[in-house]
Amino acid sequence: MARVIVVTSGKGGVGKTTTSASISTGLALRGFKTAVIDFDVGLRNLDLIMGCERRVVYDLINVVNGEANLHQALIKDKHCDNLFILPASQTRDKDALTEDGVEKVLKDLAHMGFDYVVCDSPAGIERGAVMALTFADDAIVVSNPEVSSVRDSDRILGILQSKSRRAIEGREPVKEHLLVTRYSPKRVEDGEMLSYKDVQELLRIPLIGVIPESDDVLQASNQGTPAIHLKDSDVAAAYLDVVARFLEEDRPLRFVTYEKPGILKRLFGGK
Amino acid sequence: MAEASPQGKLIEFNGASLAVMTASLRDTDPVRLADALHMMLGGMPDFFAGEPAVLDFAQLGNPPERVDWTAILSLLRRYQLQPMGVRNLAEHLHDGARRAGLALLGARDLSAESPQTVPQPQVQQTPAPAPTPEPAPVEAAAPQPAAAETPAESELAPTLIVDRPLRSGQQVYAKGGDLVLLAGMSPGSEIIADGSIHCYGPLRGRALAGARGDTTARIFSTNFGPELVSIAGVYRTFERGIPQNVAGRGAQVRLTGSDNLHTLEINPLQYD
Repeated sequence: MARVIVVTSGKGGVGKTTTSASISTGLALRGFKTAVIDFDVGLRNLDLIMGCERRVVYDLINVVNGEANLHQALIKDKHCDNLFILPASQTRDKDALTEDGVEKVLKDLAHMGFDYVVCDSPAGIERGAVMALTFADDAIVVSNPEVSSVRDSDRILGILQSKSRRAIEGREPVKEHLLVTRYSPKRVEDGEMLSYKDVQELLRIPLIGVIPESDDVLQASNQGTPAIHLKDSDVAAAYLDVVARFLEEDRPLRFVTYEKPGILKRLFGGK
Repeated sequence: MAEASPQGKLIEFNGASLAVMTASLRDTDPVRLADALHMMLGGMPDFFAGEPAVLDFAQLGNPPERVDWTAILSLLRRYQLQPMGVRNLAEHLHDGARRAGLALLGARDLSAESPQTVPQPQVQQTPAPAPTPEPAPVEAAAPQPAAAETPAESELAPTLIVDRPLRSGQQVYAKGGDLVLLAGMSPGSEIIADGSIHCYGPLRGRALAGARGDTTARIFSTNFGPELVSIAGVYRTFERGIPQNVAGRGAQVRLTGSDNLHTLEINPLQYD
């Protein structure tokens, strides 16, 4: 059975799609057959981040409605052989998603031999977001180190507890992982930002990683390449760590302490 | 699996004591009741979530000639309350209530029974390897509060225990009894108890104890930091922050003072 991972947050703009793209790529790079589904019906983004927007013919809603089959709709990633993207519909509205339809898509993916299915949740707590998390086995809750994002993540954790199939059927609860993104150790040091420890203390779920704030993410999005592919980038290294930790390997936290730039760097600039 | 039971009985009768809510009606006019319910529970049509209830008419002033049971029952069921029976109802209304499918309960039928008087044949069905000492059922019964100012309702409501963290947007109501949170609560969540609230872990949302007016209820927390606390309707918010001596520490909240001048007191909890 494919393991279903939902990437969710409540709040928008915190890095869900970036994370979905990088984690699904990371799992595929490790040899797992992986699908990543964009649940953001009406505001699709994942195809842009994955750089496959020109190859979209069919989408999730077409499959849910039986207008296309999965083989037709899945787009093979340009970087990894065993990664496939199922884009969202740009033209339909989110009510087109039905629970039965989503369940069938996930079952069919399992029959096709997928090891992991990553569900990229839309922001908010409405239908699309609930559909994305309904069938989850794992949840990666993405939060920025600021209070409103943490509050929304907390809300999503509550919804996960009450609306996921695992919760409704009284099975083992969805495994929750906290991912803190857009983290700036300097601003934490200056007291302008919550530390990852504060965030974890507020949400009380296990931390799977901290992704540093970086211009590389914007650059990667513009190129249509998942950030995890970037060479010599802290963000890529941090996402590789997250994937390793997800696969239960031990990796120490990196990029969480601020190192003062040396005198030369201060004199001659640099990032 | 009915055949599997030793005596092959398809139906078995056992005494059982249930915690039931009582709904005290001070009026029997369906329209006025509907208005009152709408005022109380307006936005929450499923407020009672199928809870069984006994309708109590002790506080009904002058009983009317007749009562429109059909209207009252459908009104209550609309809020997902399940009326099972009535008590303290005037004699001449008994027939109507019976015809509406309601049980006529005596005033005493609802008091907490002693569990010892109820035969428990099922307990002995599985052969125990060694005779274990009988658990003392008397001790399990909660001691009655010595001087309860609230109407003496002696139903034994079980304590509601929540094992997982309570998240923003979630709400828990411990009807008739105490509430125990074992994993704390987040900002934006709300807990309500008719009795006291015990929170092991952070108390960060809104906590309302003594929701039905019990002024002896208290709130305990090992990590105090709520948005609002209230006991029997006397509340306090923390716009200027939590007092230093209790912030993030063990604390208890209780009411002090006399009947008409209650004050909410927050004190640090002393541990050894």
